[in-house]
Amino acid sequence: MYRIVIDGSLCSGFGTCADLAPEQFEVGPDGIAKARVGESDDPNVLEAAAQCPMGAIAVFDLASGEQAA
Amino acid sequence: MKGDPTFWILARATGLAAYALLTASVLAGLVVKSRPFGKAMKPATAVDLHRTLALLALGAVGGHVAALLADHAVEIGVLDVLVPGIAPYRPLATGLGVAAAELMVLVYASFSLRRRIGQKNWRRLHWTTYGLFALAAAHGVLTGSDSGEPWALGLYLGSIGAVAAATAWRALVPPAKPRPRPRPQPAATTEGA
Repeated sequence: MYRIVIDGSLCSGFGTCADLAPEQFEVGPDGIAKARVGESDDPNVLEAAAQCPMGAIAVFDLASGEQAA
Repeated sequence: MKGDPTFWILARATGLAAYALLTASVLAGLVVKSRPFGKAMKPATAVDLHRTLALLALGAVGGHVAALLADHAVEIGVLDVLVPGIAPYRPLATGLGVAAAELMVLVYASFSLRRRIGQKNWRRLHWTTYGLFALAAAHGVLTGSDSGEPWALGLYLGSIGAVAAATAWRALVPPAKPRPRPRPQPAATTEGA
């Protein structure tokens, strides 16, 4: 299970996260990505964090407490 | 022109290299969102490439400035490379290059300052890249000793055309969406009964 944290001050609204993990991310009307859920077991959240062009997404592994992406 | 031409030749070479690297960086930045290469280039990879090329372009600009300061074919001093328009050699055209270089430093540095200046201001500042690219192209065409050569004209026209085409692609063609991987299904707990 992963905890998703988005830094809205870094997000530029490219929407890569919403494309890769549409159940977990959406880009709001303000052009900033938001997590639909705070926690998820979908491994696509790791890819979404890794592929965020602005490095605005952090994903933490709840079991270990460490940053997974 | 007088004396050893080594630094003059270096100044020309680094100037052309800086312009080519700037063009490549702008193109890499334009494909971050438009994704014309689909899966072949991920957005984060494009950003890494964009920033690396921008840093290399800045390095080439640094080499260009250093070579001009070391050269004595034309007398250009430290103030001349800091204040646009005061250089004794083709002041207007040289000034365009100084302004372009200073904007390049500003835009590159702003990436690390996004949190401090805010995303909106950062994006506004990033839009000035089009202006600095135009300044750099004008500087190259107007001051470059090689501007009359067919290969140099090809470089300038090709780079301007490529940036215009990539901009049009970004504005007009919807980006290819990466596909999420199917989520792994939980393993069945009962089997074969």
